[in-house]
Amino acid sequence: MEMLDKLTILADAAKYDVACTSCGVDRKAKKGQLGSTTRAGICHSFSADGRCITLLKVLLSNACSYDCAYCVNRRSNDVPRATFSARELAELTIGFYRRNYIEGLFLSSGVLRNPDYTTERMCEAIALLRDEYGFRGYIHAKAIPGTSEELLIRLGVLADRMSINIEFPSAQSLNLLAPGKARQSIIQPMRFVRDGIKANYQDKRLSTVRRTRFAPAGQSTQMIIGASPESDFQILKLSASLYQTFEMRRVFFSAYIPVNTNPLLPPVREVPLLREHRLYQADWLMRFYGFDVTEVIDERHPYLDLQIDPKANWALNHIDEFPIEINRAPYESLLRIPGVGVRGASRIVMARRERRLRFEDLCRLNIILKRARYFITCNGVFAPDVIFDPLHIYEQLSRVTKQNQSNKFLKGQLSLFDASCVNNSDGIGSVSGQEQTAIRSGKFGLLETPAAVEQVASYAGK
Amino acid sequence: MLENERMNGRKGTRPERAYCKIVPGAPEPNAPVPSEKLSSCLSQSSAASEPNAPVASTEALLGDADLIYLYDGSLEGLLSAVFAAFARKEAPVNLAVKHNLQESLLCSSVFIDTDLVAADRVQAGIKRVLGSDTYEAVKQVFLSKNEHKGGVILRYLRHGFKRGRWFYTQLAHPVVSEFTAVQRVVINEAHYLRQFVRFAQLESGLYFARIQPKASVVPLIMDHFADRFNVQPFIIYDARHQLAGIFDTERWWLTDASQIQTPALSAEEDNFQALWQTFFDTITIEERRNPRCQRSFMPKRFWGNLCEQIPPQLRRRHPQTPTQIVQVLNELH
Ligand code: SF4
Repeated sequence: MEMLDKLTILADAAKYDVACTSCGVDRKAKKGQLGSTTRAGICHSFSADGRCITLLKVLLSNACSYDCAYCVNRRSNDVPRATFSARELAELTIGFYRRNYIEGLFLSSGVLRNPDYTTERMCEAIALLRDEYGFRGYIHAKAIPGTSEELLIRLGVLADRMSINIEFPSAQSLNLLAPGKARQSIIQPMRFVRDGIKANYQDKRLSTVRRTRFAPAGQSTQMIIGASPESDFQILKLSASLYQTFEMRRVFFSAYIPVNTNPLLPPVREVPLLREHRLYQADWLMRFYGFDVTEVIDERHPYLDLQIDPKANWALNHIDEFPIEINRAPYESLLRIPGVGVRGASRIVMARRERRLRFEDLCRLNIILKRARYFITCNGVFAPDVIFDPLHIYEQLSRVTKQNQSNKFLKGQLSLFDASCVNNSDGIGSVSGQEQTAIRSGKFGLLETPAAVEQVASYAGK
Repeated sequence: MLENERMNGRKGTRPERAYCKIVPGAPEPNAPVPSEKLSSCLSQSSAASEPNAPVASTEALLGDADLIYLYDGSLEGLLSAVFAAFARKEAPVNLAVKHNLQESLLCSSVFIDTDLVAADRVQAGIKRVLGSDTYEAVKQVFLSKNEHKGGVILRYLRHGFKRGRWFYTQLAHPVVSEFTAVQRVVINEAHYLRQFVRFAQLESGLYFARIQPKASVVPLIMDHFADRFNVQPFIIYDARHQLAGIFDTERWWLTDASQIQTPALSAEEDNFQALWQTFFDTITIEERRNPRCQRSFMPKRFWGNLCEQIPPQLRRRHPQTPTQIVQVLNELH
């Protein structure tokens, strides 16, 4: 088979894996060897769906002896199959890397014969890259559930990051949709990888010798959103506990895209991209902004509001903690302002040592006030035109979301006081009936939006 | 992507490298301009008071509204002009590159000869009083295309010498914020290039990349590539600024490159480009197609030098789209 065809098949089969990041480990370049990694990672391209391409993301083989309902590679699917040889994969990776196309390799695989056999093949391919080609770039290896521990150790020592997909937010869904994978066969290797990573730090001697470190960039996992009936609450609770118990670096969400028709799977009319986006936002709040999962979402309101982002949502539900005075509030409070990020908050703290900040000064600090303006005061005064009323703010913010949505999540690059912000007095009446009900019910965001209710109902009916 | 921190302001701690050659024909760089003022300013580590400094910040921004200094376009020339401004106790609104200046009726302009000794003193003074990070920042701003960068740098340094080492944290100060705004553009551009440089292998085995950045960032990205690709000689050619960074597996240097012949590619180059294009097309999930989002992360201005963005009909060895290939294979099976 031509290399081009193989690559097409094996990249196509890997494209639903979301974990395309190359960060978490700084490995300096070394004379005479190809490659280095940077802590922040580098994206080298963006595909037409707007997702970043940083690693050569392929399967070693798409021939699989399992039969997971949601997966294109399942045994019972009639698709062309291909398998890379170790040499082919290494040549391809090196060729791409030398041209600055990629940061490294993301290697996953269907289950060839059995998990151990598959993992052995993966180790072989990566070892070739590392040893013979002296490759120092990033390698993310996906562990196959059910692999023996010796092989996991080998894989972890060769790779930078390991991941085992948890696949679904609950054991029931997993049983139903991935009958070949027992919950235990996923949890166990996760625990094993966690302990392996911990051992890096306990044994100082080991960790200083390169290549004996076990998965230095940590482990990550991913779950499919929207193929099973779990609520956002369940999903976020689960991811919080994954961060805690398994010390995950990242939990990825992947909006379900129907690739197979199966009576077990829900009929999806639309890929739940906005929901996925909100879940990621909530995830960020927990990882970088010191939010607890219970602050982001609670059992009584188990779905994130699609109209406004989770941080604004939290702010509206805790409106008595606002407005926040830019010139006095501690760093932790600044971080809680919707629209102010980690960098923005530290810039404020830095700049206000010299002078009392006014709104123009915030603009100089490159802080986007589109959302923040409703929640802050500078020297005790609000931004012009701000009506500090939760109902009103909710309306304004959902209008911002609508604009962004029509821009399809184009990141808000509008400058301070752009036209839409200044003239926010017009067009208030144009709130849809659905939103008005939401607003009148008095609870912001954590409410069951009609769309969410409908979603649940449609699953329950199945 | 989300994990990826844009714009890390990390500054290299590498040994000094010449950023710009002295333009041939520039006047002999001697004749230092001794000045009480400057030396007092540059040698005292505390915030040296400056009797001539404008009082109000607006005044500081405007300076001598009718005066412009001209320099030859090199970093040394710019630093010489900074030296002259201190020495002559003048506050020109801008330091402009000589041939770029459009004659203005409102301004009088003075050409400042490049003086290596003065430039060295300014450099040493900045490093000692304001820290080497500030010197790196000045070099970054110097690489910008902004026409006012000379004035921006001068005001920034003047402010720095007045306020002392920590002045750069005064992010809301007009002088500091105008400087960081220009600097941000350069740093972002350098980051974009670390992402979007695409090497092609030439017949000789050399790797060659062509770029057209908004700012002349080749000097900022060479370290990164020279480290990472230390086993392969390469050239990064900035077609817009006619500058080439060359790495020979030992060290890198810059050179003027107004004309570069389109070099012949190696035999396997076409092959790898086709593979990469195929991978790029295949990895897209059709149901999530979102070209706007793609453009916001990877602005269109870079596409001309990205081989994966060459439309299929123009590609050399790429007869079929991935879906077609799969179709064909399906029929075979
Ligand atoms: S194990 Fe399941 S999810 Fe993995 S490739 Fe095979 S069928 Fe797909």
